[in-house]
Amino acid sequence: MPGPERVGAAGRALTAVALLVFVAGAPAQPAPALAAACVACHGAGGNSQQPLVPSLAGQPRLFIENQLVLVREGLREIPQMKGLLDGQADADLVALARYFAAQPPVRAAAGARDAAAYRRGEALSATMHCGSCHLPDYAGREQIPRLAGQHEAFLLQAMKQLRDHPGPGRDTIMAASLYGLKDADLADLAHFLAHFGASAS
Amino acid sequence: MIKHIGLAFVVVAALAAGCAQTKPTVSAAAAPVSGNAPAWQQGRGTDMSGSSLAPLAGKLTVTPAADIPLHQLKLPPGFKAEVWSTGTPGARAMARSPSGKIYVGTRGIGRVYEITDHGASRTSRVVVDKLNQPAAAFHDGSLYVFAIDKVLRYDGIDRNPGVQPVDLTAKFNLPPEQHHNWKYVRFGPDGKLYVPFGAPCNICIPGEPYAQIRRYNADGSGMEVIARGVRNTQGFDWHPVTKELWFSDHGRDWMGDDTPEDELNRLSRTGQHFGFPYCHANGVADRDIRKSDACDGVTLPVKTMGGHAAVMGVHFYTGSMFPAEYRNTLFVARKGSWNRTKKNGYDVVMVRSDANGSNAQVTPFATGFMNEQDQSFWGRPVYFLQLPDGSLLLSDEQNGAIYRITYAGT
Repeated sequence: MPGPERVGAAGRALTAVALLVFVAGAPAQPAPALAAACVACHGAGGNSQQPLVPSLAGQPRLFIENQLVLVREGLREIPQMKGLLDGQADADLVALARYFAAQPPVRAAAGARDAAAYRRGEALSATMHCGSCHLPDYAGREQIPRLAGQHEAFLLQAMKQLRDHPGPGRDTIMAASLYGLKDADLADLAHFLAHFGASAS
Repeated sequence: MIKHIGLAFVVVAALAAGCAQTKPTVSAAAAPVSGNAPAWQQGRGTDMSGSSLAPLAGKLTVTPAADIPLHQLKLPPGFKAEVWSTGTPGARAMARSPSGKIYVGTRGIGRVYEITDHGASRTSRVVVDKLNQPAAAFHDGSLYVFAIDKVLRYDGIDRNPGVQPVDLTAKFNLPPEQHHNWKYVRFGPDGKLYVPFGAPCNICIPGEPYAQIRRYNADGSGMEVIARGVRNTQGFDWHPVTKELWFSDHGRDWMGDDTPEDELNRLSRTGQHFGFPYCHANGVADRDIRKSDACDGVTLPVKTMGGHAAVMGVHFYTGSMFPAEYRNTLFVARKGSWNRTKKNGYDVVMVRSDANGSNAQVTPFATGFMNEQDQSFWGRPVYFLQLPDGSLLLSDEQNGAIYRITYAGT
């Protein structure tokens, strides 16, 4: 893959786009065979092109591993993934997690930034201490997912599910954290997180 | 549904406030984030707003025995630990059938395991899965599986592996909140089933169904609340002589590294109040939920057990394999801290005291799960089960493993 092109002062938007592509650190390991089934929806290298499908690239390894186990066990129900991981050994799930965690994340196409919604989401995140666990750059760690640059529609859907359907396979801490928030609050949070770290222009 | 729960909280909180002589005050930090909701960051003051402390990651996949550095475990002279069983991710509390099958509960992975001992080796199978943080107990020929929202009984399962469960859920009237309501359950010497219902928050006025320990008849009838003001007990046992209930309780978070400490409590009378949310540890008034004379009428702990140490299973040793001085000594597993700048716990300690809890002394028993220097850890000890030969099983939730501790003399 070619590196980011140098552009003139007039090309600020292009620069912003190019900066979002982390071209360094190309994957050193081959993809596990099972990964082919994943990228059909989650996109090449785990960078999703579909608004309601999360990107896996650059997620913490343990986060992916835990979610794969919960999906396999039927604890986290994702209709599109039903049966997909049946019978997969722990070692295969660990290999998948390691592979996608090592892929460079490419920011999802986020659309234009709404400055007011971004500011509301930013303020809400500060008072709710989202960065305490997800870290101040929202890159996630260990069992806690990366939020920065994830698809906005997916973030909103995931937060609604955590708020409204806390059940097996759902983190009780996240359910408690989002309890009582309005849909509009979640939309602001999703907008902020999807655009976090991107150029404001 | 959720709105009704919120309303119920308001009503219960108002009633509780009305009964108290002086109305408790709730600080802004402990006030619900939005709506009258339990939330983990309640009670987190501005002094902690920049902290990145977060609950530590569990592991849901198999850890092979070869990957467990058990040689790093340090025990008193004459004791030895071996890896007894692996391949059961998330293994927590254990129960044993008279025929020798071991049943093991979990949290996140939602399974109950059955482990069969073949003498030289062990095998395991999943009895039931897809449950919401289930615990297991064995009583009168039946396995009881107790999840946050479900109770199942498997009659004669140790002889008949395929037996279908009897669903007892409706009998137990389980409240809906999940946080701190994952279970540890045991049958007591009275044949009753003891079940904790934790506070669904870090710090809040919890409402009637929560922050209490109940006991039921085995079929779910005859419920009694036997202890109140219990934030989050994750283990209990009965004193071999007095038959009184002793239990662990986790202190609240976000009030500092060393306060309030976790507790080891003794129930000497049904209905005692252990302080939550007003009074913690050895008489520490809460910072956020205040009332005058916060510790009046509160039963203080036998011993405080360290800041954020996460006291889990407790077990009075009654076997004859260990030296005589271990008889009736309480073993306490401390899973280890997250809400603390320097790690604490990650060990097994012994508590020696008089039968009434006085003169309690804490001494280390098993250390080395955690490295003080680099703050790393490889294991998190959680629960005990004493085998008929007097050896002691210890489960490690992080590695999904069970260790067997034996004594062979010095």
